[in-house]
Amino acid sequence: MFRNQYDGDVTVWSPQGRLHQVEYAVEAMKQGSATVGIKSETHAVIVALKRAQNDLSSHQKKVYEIDTHAGVSIAGLLSDGRILARYLQTECSSWRWDYKQAVPIKKLAESMQLKLQANTQYYGRRPFGVGILIAGYDKDGAHIIQTDPSAEVVSMHGTSIGARSQSARTYLERNVDNFEKSTPEQLIVHALLALRDTLPAEENLNAQNTSIGIVGKDSPFSLLEDAQVAVHLNQVSTHPRTTGGAAAAAAPGGAEPMQM
Amino acid sequence: SSIGTGYDLAASTFSPDGRIFQVEYAQKAVDNAGTMIAIRGKNGVVVVADKLISSKLYTDNANPRMFNVNDNVGVAVAGNYPDGFALKNYAYGEAMKWLKDYREPMPIQNIANSVAEYIHIHTLGISRPFGAGAFFMSWNKQTGGRLFLVEPSGLNYEYKAWAVGKHRQAAKAEIEKLKIEELDVNQLVKEAARIIMVVRDENKDKNVQIEMGWVGEQTNGKYEEVPSEVVTAAEEWAIAKLDEDDMDD
Repeated sequence: MFRNQYDGDVTVWSPQGRLHQVEYAVEAMKQGSATVGIKSETHAVIVALKRAQNDLSSHQKKVYEIDTHAGVSIAGLLSDGRILARYLQTECSSWRWDYKQAVPIKKLAESMQLKLQANTQYYGRRPFGVGILIAGYDKDGAHIIQTDPSAEVVSMHGTSIGARSQSARTYLERNVDNFEKSTPEQLIVHALLALRDTLPAEENLNAQNTSIGIVGKDSPFSLLEDAQVAVHLNQVSTHPRTTGGAAAAAAPGGAEPMQM
Repeated sequence: SSIGTGYDLAASTFSPDGRIFQVEYAQKAVDNAGTMIAIRGKNGVVVVADKLISSKLYTDNANPRMFNVNDNVGVAVAGNYPDGFALKNYAYGEAMKWLKDYREPMPIQNIANSVAEYIHIHTLGISRPFGAGAFFMSWNKQTGGRLFLVEPSGLNYEYKAWAVGKHRQAAKAEIEKLKIEELDVNQLVKEAARIIMVVRDENKDKNVQIEMGWVGEQTNGKYEEVPSEVVTAAEEWAIAKLDEDDMDD
């Protein structure tokens, strides 16, 4: 039933020095709908694509505020992601209690990395099947932090994780030089254009399936309302769609019930 | 070989010929990672790592491999990055505890020993061994430069110079050609950059970046990241030197 002898448990090294269970957890993250994060000098933006189980159900929440200066978005097993979001909320508030100030994003990223790493080493646990993007603003400026189940935690100018996220990363790599000086509005447009590239041609972004979170200098983290999301989507709709990119990297399977 | 016979699935299992395969496999994670070299010279220690930068979306100095354990001791982790980060965190915590208890900085030998013990516990079979190793380095007037390497097996040796990772054999051969005891830290930085570049596989090692750390007389015994302009200068020197050598051939 196993693909090889060395993939039954996280606590087993393969002869090549790889951890198969951890690599499989990364695959779980890749099945979740995509999320994109980018930053300028002054702001960090996260946008996410939400899935609904069916026409009658609501869309699953993917973006959480974790403190006034930071928020996260999730791709992968959303229930795992919620646990991590809650963990980060607790980290933020306990830092505030200890130091009477907001936690630096770097410290948040470090504690996140240690928590994720423990789940790749100790028996009886599994890695989190989820990747998250942390958007934050602190005295060092704006930050986008990317995490994945293998506990790779890295600071980025912009990035995307989740299904067909390669298409979004291609967009970001082409435009990364423009982000630094972008206004918050331009940043949101870039993020939405990148996110739209992860969609198959017959689907499109709308106010219901799109989440936008933004944080920056003198502006606390805010998760935009549907009406505000629609305004930003209007700006995006005038840009022609780049076709082909999304289809090339089509993810396997449809919408799994757990992974959204 | 005994691979696949079932004796290699847990660190708690010896193979019939007395080997612990899980520990050997964990070592592979270090062997397959980017090359890292550490050299002790006349008046300090230099460490250099070759890092893969897989995308231009990474910020500058994302995922540093070198850290301070305390003001005087540096650590450089090689292998699986998250495992290395956890080791660095443990070392930092131990140094902090020592400082609280004894009101003086934890000596490098004690740091290396305590991390080695921690790594060793993970080779007994309750959890998987660490897929990372760590260099520790320091310098002061009394002891001069000191350099330790702790491996995934929990072994802890002091070195004059050593290399781990993908191109360690070639790197060690290059180090042996130098009279490292006679080189000061500024020369070491250049030679270390040259060695990292010369052992690279031109076809495979693309999008790589050099990261360096040093401790010595000129840093007043403090471990520090090597400033980026010094790294750049060392790389330029190395490229010129390599071109020169090519001309001679």
